[in-house]
Amino acid sequence: MSTPSSPDLPHGTREPHRHTPKADVRKIYQRAIFASFLKLHPRSTAKNPVMFVVWVGTVISFLLTLNPNLFSTMQGNINQQRYFNGLIALILCSTLIFANFAEAVAEGRGKAQADSLRATKSDTTARKILSDGSIQSINSQQLRRGDVVKVVAGEAIPGDGEVIEGIGSVDESAVTGESAPVMKQPGTDIASSVTGGTRLISDELTIRITSEPGLGFIDRMISLVEGAQRTKTPNEVALTVLLAVLTQIFLIVATTVKPIANYIADFMSTVLGTTAGNSLRSGVSVTILISLLVALIPTTIGALLSAIGIAGMDRVAQFNVIATSGRAVEACGDVNTLILDKTGTITLGNRMADEFIPVNPYSIEDLVWVAKAASIFDQTPEGKSILKLAENYGAKLDFDLHKGEGIEFTAKTRMSGTHLPDGREARKGSVEAIKKFVQERGGVIPPEIDAAYEKISKLGGTPLAVCLDQQIYGVIYLKDIVKPGLPERFSQLRQMGVRTIMLTGDNRMTAATIAREAGVDDFIAEATPEDKMNVIRTEQSKGNLIAMTGDGTNDAPALAQANVGLAMNSGTQAAKEAANMVDLDSDPTKLIDLVTIGKQLLITRGALTTFSIANDIAKYFAIIPTIFASAGIEALNIMRLKSGQSAIISALIYNALIIPVLIPVALKGVKFLPLTANQLLKRNILIYGIGGIIAPFIAIKLIDIILPFS
Amino acid sequence: MKILQNKPLILSDRRKLPLYLFLAMCCNLAASPIVYAASGTQLSRIQAWALGYLVLTSIGLSIYLFFVMFLPEKF
Repeated sequence: MSTPSSPDLPHGTREPHRHTPKADVRKIYQRAIFASFLKLHPRSTAKNPVMFVVWVGTVISFLLTLNPNLFSTMQGNINQQRYFNGLIALILCSTLIFANFAEAVAEGRGKAQADSLRATKSDTTARKILSDGSIQSINSQQLRRGDVVKVVAGEAIPGDGEVIEGIGSVDESAVTGESAPVMKQPGTDIASSVTGGTRLISDELTIRITSEPGLGFIDRMISLVEGAQRTKTPNEVALTVLLAVLTQIFLIVATTVKPIANYIADFMSTVLGTTAGNSLRSGVSVTILISLLVALIPTTIGALLSAIGIAGMDRVAQFNVIATSGRAVEACGDVNTLILDKTGTITLGNRMADEFIPVNPYSIEDLVWVAKAASIFDQTPEGKSILKLAENYGAKLDFDLHKGEGIEFTAKTRMSGTHLPDGREARKGSVEAIKKFVQERGGVIPPEIDAAYEKISKLGGTPLAVCLDQQIYGVIYLKDIVKPGLPERFSQLRQMGVRTIMLTGDNRMTAATIAREAGVDDFIAEATPEDKMNVIRTEQSKGNLIAMTGDGTNDAPALAQANVGLAMNSGTQAAKEAANMVDLDSDPTKLIDLVTIGKQLLITRGALTTFSIANDIAKYFAIIPTIFASAGIEALNIMRLKSGQSAIISALIYNALIIPVLIPVALKGVKFLPLTANQLLKRNILIYGIGGIIAPFIAIKLIDIILPFS
Repeated sequence: MKILQNKPLILSDRRKLPLYLFLAMCCNLAASPIVYAASGTQLSRIQAWALGYLVLTSIGLSIYLFFVMFLPEKF
């Protein structure tokens, strides 16, 4: 069920956090109406080739309204001709205003969001720490990259930076919408990055500024959602060329109709008499040629093209993801391989300890004691879950914690643990790493360890071996839970021709079980962060377009190499700068949604282009029989329109009205179905191609019936 | 002369339109007599002059569209 606060997604809706305060959309339409008149300025219109031709046509029609005899002496009632020309000028002007309105509404939504972001950004006083250690109070706008500032509880963080000293809670709701404060501390990849404009709510932090004034995260967000940095995407460039070519062809057609008509008129004068020839000559007036030109050029897609692109960016922004360019959003639609981390993306981030499996000759109590000792300094959710499970067994540690030393987990050692005060070493980690640790100290590997390892791996869990010095005590079963709904999403992606690859540091057996459970197409087990880069390069060399997520500094090269790199907002500055998209909610699963949003953008553009070009057939059958009526081609008037004037005005009214009718489709996107490119093409041709042929026939006939022309 | 040296002759967008209109009028000096001569007595001088402009506008639009085709990223 769609709610106003939840953006519509191809596969339903989800409840994201939004930037706060929420964008004020009340005045968007008011602003858009005003902007659509301002955009009538020729310099603004000249940026859209199709609409510029309509603009020139409008000006000429207006001149012909003032003086119908401007280009040739009209026969018949001059006032009637003036009225007809005026009506054409009015309809063409409405076409321009509707086109401008579509663009202005799309831009207005982005501007409203930018305004709300701007409201969160205010100049603050920063306490800059000088080289001699003294503190100088300066305006935050004067801070430069590399400056060090002190921030105390209650103050706004003056700029983007890295925490170099102190621990404190930061309220990031201004940026992420997430009300829960985030702990920031130095030295960690994830928690040391702070964003300017957020507020420190406890303790104090010393921060090194990492961005120049005006180039901070919120500044970039403002300029992006506002469309200030919007450049044409490759797809838009290609479509602009196509539209220019079609417009050029129809311009040549329209300008050569007159000489052709004169040639036929001369022939008719000889065969049927002067009256028939003159009738044909007078039927081809400049106003009618302008009408023919405007009706034939693809005004619908020309009017909606930029609105579709801006709306695509807006849909991504509504989803709390900031794209660095429209190109990034479009690239999401072209992606055919997704590389996903297992933990946090495919499975729930926090693996929970579920069972202790001791090996001979140790009892479960012995194993629980060693596991608790190895995890006592571990602050990870896994470590905490081991302690919680150990509490259930009533395990009590009998050493002074202050004299013990915690050993952190690293990707290289693949284990963590504790140096006990008596010199013993308690460790827990991957089975292979613990085996190596024990063997290095002259220990023996118990045979049951492999059976326990296999049992847990087959269940899709992660086995953590536990040892004390050279003795292995057993294995902890860390349970991995696949996020609900993901297998269905992967199945839909497969239908769309998108391959999913799971990357995990787990052993092959565990990885295979999780991969099977989640329904991914392929997996890479025992992978290190560096492997991401190799996988991306290998896939790209096969011609695949890759999307991936990342948050650490070591992910930055891979994020930059991938065609779509989605960085988590909780990640490091390096990751955010390397990626072409930043997820403010730090939810890696969104990558799947972004792919579908990108595909929806491309499908919408394709569908409306098909519709616009298909419309030409009906307009052709409305106008051409009018021009050559006296040449005996009345049979071509298959719609049986009342008169020539009525036919032209009906076709132009349809041409103008179809633009506002299609604005909601352009802004919301066409209905998305998880189908392959070929299936989508067939579907679009059927709905928008055949629909684009039939709809104008019905609409033009209806308008013709309503119009008071005889 | 001194003033010109201090303020180089750079044509702003605002000053380009009158220049283009002036150039169009100059071109029409050549085009409109051709139109007038080709039409015999059917057209008045003013109509021939207006038609000359119309022809130039069509040619200008065509050049503009070619420009869009070759430099689409500018639009």
